[in-house]
Amino acid sequence: MSSLQAIQLQMLEAVLAAKTSAMPPVRSDAIADAHSRLSVYQHGYRIRLRDALKNELAGLQRMAGRSFDALLDAYVETHPSGHYNIRWYGAGLANFLEGAHPDRPHLSEMARLDWAISTAFDAADEPSLGMTQLAGIPPDAWANLRLQPQANLQILICAHNVDAFRRAADRDAARPHVRRYARPRRILVWRQAMSVHYRRLDEDEWQVLAATQRGDTFAALCAILAERHGETAAMGRMVALLQTWVAAGLLRSLG
Amino acid sequence: MSHAMTAARSDSLPYLGYGLGLRIDHYEALLARPAQVQWLEVVSENYMVDGGLPLVWLDRFRERYPLVMHGVSMSIGSTDPLDEGYLARLAALAQRVEPMWVSDHLCWTGVQGVNLHDLMPLPYTEEALRHVVSRVQRVQDRLKRRILLENVSSYVSFAQSQLTEWEFLAEVAERADCLILLDINNVHVSAMNHGFSSLDYLRGIPVSRVQQFHLAGYEQGERLIIDTHDAAVSNAVWELYVEAVRRFGRVSTMIERDDHFPPLPELIAELEHARALAEPLLQDAA
Repeated sequence: MSSLQAIQLQMLEAVLAAKTSAMPPVRSDAIADAHSRLSVYQHGYRIRLRDALKNELAGLQRMAGRSFDALLDAYVETHPSGHYNIRWYGAGLANFLEGAHPDRPHLSEMARLDWAISTAFDAADEPSLGMTQLAGIPPDAWANLRLQPQANLQILICAHNVDAFRRAADRDAARPHVRRYARPRRILVWRQAMSVHYRRLDEDEWQVLAATQRGDTFAALCAILAERHGETAAMGRMVALLQTWVAAGLLRSLG
Repeated sequence: MSHAMTAARSDSLPYLGYGLGLRIDHYEALLARPAQVQWLEVVSENYMVDGGLPLVWLDRFRERYPLVMHGVSMSIGSTDPLDEGYLARLAALAQRVEPMWVSDHLCWTGVQGVNLHDLMPLPYTEEALRHVVSRVQRVQDRLKRRILLENVSSYVSFAQSQLTEWEFLAEVAERADCLILLDINNVHVSAMNHGFSSLDYLRGIPVSRVQQFHLAGYEQGERLIIDTHDAAVSNAVWELYVEAVRRFGRVSTMIERDDHFPPLPELIAELEHARALAEPLLQDAA
């Protein structure tokens, strides 16, 4: 190991440790001792990571309230950053909360929604499918058509009203109470042009949208709706969903 | 006026005048293009994303201002391998922005795959010098341009150091044939924290290598000065800036504020102060 590498490893260990055990070869002098000097880096490291998380977790902050900082500190102490861009530091937070707080599953659900919103914000730009493109499809081509959703579109399964907390944070409204649903619900997160949106999905819309993500044909989508609503109502529901999706920019192209 | 002031620069990069670091808080106000702000410096990592609003804003500013790219994650001094993924992203961004130049810091930000997201100082040794020089050369080959390296504020120094910080910086620039972004605030902060002369520092930096100045503010800690870049430029830094203008002459200068953002007019007032200090000296020298 080179001398330079040894120094960097010692500094790394000293910064990651909340308290310095093995001291790197840092000089003490009349201005400040080595411990005081190192503590600037130890303190700064924790502040920077915590601030980076706060930027992306408006819903979790609203939900956790006064315990928010403690949640983040626990993550920072156990999860060194592996990405050059601090913007990605929160990618593992939801999984961490799931393991660390199994008695409070709403926390990890909340972190997942916040993170989905965060990643949609700067996801790749894609074109949106318009009604005129759909109108030009010959009637006999529809059955084998595949609707391709935006790559930034994410569907989250939530057992709690986490979207209400995010909405409260976005609108600076009062903190709601945590509610657990009788059955889990799905929340859709996507970006239309430059705006990130989220909303709850009805059961049938979720099933059909998930099928488009799998690459199912239009005929298969209609079959899903027919099973729930009957043949006659299914077509009307499909048309309504298509109109909603196109208006919201959920579809990218046809395949 | 010193002889150094009139020394010709060895590069062909343009002089941009007086600029600011681009931050979200000032997006709208800067789009109005106040006449006093002649150029902008963007933090490269903020725009190393796949799409969305950050790149829309970036394109808007690119239409209105000369831009330079300033990175915080190159980790040029790390003993980890250079991050090829990072360099590919940086090169792609540079291709999109076509900046006047690209800069980062003379430091390391992580090792063994762990990123501290801080500008960690190096030991100033011959070993570190050879290591950094070789990596700067590889980065410059990869980006097909010379880069600028900025001096960082530091709170520790290492028993192994054989050179002063300015000797190390000057040697890196000469051996790697790169340029220097001289942060006047960082010179002052490190000088106070380590007890060296900031004027010795300036005198040790080769004039022909300095392409850009940063001006910023700091916080006085109990024993050490903490480089927060979140306050107005201090009197001590203004005084050092005057000395820097005397030595280095006409150098593109900007105010770099990273937190506690005041309304834009306050930053512009600081920029105007820089101009008021520098221009009489530069005109006298002409």
